[in-house]
Amino acid sequence: MGDLLTELGVNGGVLITQLVTFIILLVILRFVAYKPLMRMLDERSKRVKESMEQAESVKEQSAHAEEEVKKQLVEASREGQERIARAVKAGEEMKQKAQEEARHEAEALIERARGEIQRERDEAIGEVRREFADLTVLAAGKVIERTLDKEKHRELIDKVLEESSTEKKEQP
Amino acid sequence: MTQPKRRGCLGCSFPVLVIIIIVFLALGIFGFLSGAIGQELLQKYGVDIKFPDWMVIGQPEPHLPAPVLFNVFGIPITNTLIASWITVVLLVVISYVVTRRMKIIPGRLQTLFESFLGWIFDLCKSIAGDKNARRFFPIIATIFLYVLLNAWLSLIPGYGSIEYTEYEPVATHTEELPAGGHEGEYTIVTKDGVDYIEHRHELIRGANTDVNTPLAIAIISFVVVAYFGLTSLGMGWLRQYFNFGPLFRSLGQTFKGKLNVMGIFSGAIDIFVGFLELLSRFITIISFTFRLFGNMTAGEILLLITAFLVPWVLAIPFYGLEILIGFVQAFIFSGLTLVFITMAVTPHEAEAH
Repeated sequence: MGDLLTELGVNGGVLITQLVTFIILLVILRFVAYKPLMRMLDERSKRVKESMEQAESVKEQSAHAEEEVKKQLVEASREGQERIARAVKAGEEMKQKAQEEARHEAEALIERARGEIQRERDEAIGEVRREFADLTVLAAGKVIERTLDKEKHRELIDKVLEESSTEKKEQP
Repeated sequence: MTQPKRRGCLGCSFPVLVIIIIVFLALGIFGFLSGAIGQELLQKYGVDIKFPDWMVIGQPEPHLPAPVLFNVFGIPITNTLIASWITVVLLVVISYVVTRRMKIIPGRLQTLFESFLGWIFDLCKSIAGDKNARRFFPIIATIFLYVLLNAWLSLIPGYGSIEYTEYEPVATHTEELPAGGHEGEYTIVTKDGVDYIEHRHELIRGANTDVNTPLAIAIISFVVVAYFGLTSLGMGWLRQYFNFGPLFRSLGQTFKGKLNVMGIFSGAIDIFVGFLELLSRFITIISFTFRLFGNMTAGEILLLITAFLVPWVLAIPFYGLEILIGFVQAFIFSGLTLVFITMAVTPHEAEAH
């Protein structure tokens, strides 16, 4: 067995040196390579996580904002509609009022016109009466001036009327 | 500025490429002819071309034990130890240079370094799980890097070819010299009337080709498995190997008056199984050692033989093979260690049922 080991080259001193070498390498690499590497990997994964979280939150915020905007839009459109409705209503009211007023005015106008007409007619009638009376008086004067028979009376009245009408025609 | 129009193939213009190919082929042919097989063929066909001495490669004389070059404080320093120290220094220097100023957004070197070690770390995570990977990673990565760099560095020219000559007077040599003058490690030369033994050694030899290196790593691996097993499972880990409990319980029952033959029998079997487990744990050291040692030594001998038989160009593919084998061996060594550690920290009962 010992011969075999020697033949293969197993050597206690070298073996121990190799063990120590390996352990030294392990310790040094732990400080020089693995710790910094792990720190770096952790740091990087932390950063990635952070940035992803940040992105998530930004996305959330933007979604929130979008929702807000949508809500505001809905609100605004509703308000606009309401305003339009209100305006339409107001317009309607105004129109109605205007119509009412117009009708009132028209009625008043008609009333006034009627009054005027009434007055004019009364006046005309009055005038006619006055004229007629005058004529009557004139005719009566004429009658009184002469003796008149029944036929002559008739004739006279006709004449008077004719005269008055021609007079009237010339007069205005 | 206009880019000059590039023509050609593999970054050279065609004439240059053709010249390179011709030189390469000539090297291949001359190399082949100067090698052992080529010489044999030439002689067979009666062609006698003598190549100059510097072209002819001597017959390789591989030997397993690494020669001791000198002693420092009683510690024998072999050529393989020097090689392994070169590996250590290289690893430490590279790591230091890379990690001295690490950045969140890495440069090229840092990316390479991180992706390689990150790959090992991911391997640890996939086998040992997230929680344990951090504990196992340093040892696994160190084994991987050490074995890999030992294997790859030994492919560099100079490993195994730079020789170190040592003269020792025959008179002071105490051990009996093996017969046959020019066999392996020494020649007797006479200088100034005194006979000297001329020892010729390689100054540096791939560390993995010395059985001590794989053995040391295998022992480390064993110790690490035991350490993690003990710290994670405590006595439960030892119980796999020294399982006296069931037997003593059954014996106790016997003394109380209840004879339990089956209990005693299965208790004895448990002890035996534990013994087998223990044995297999130690055999694992040996298999770890000789897997790596055998592969690496065979690889080196293969390279020596190809360099002897078909030197120069035709030996190149074997270097590619050795690069692959070095990687595979490093992967196997660290991967198996990882698996064993993971098995050691997994409760045995949970695993069995």
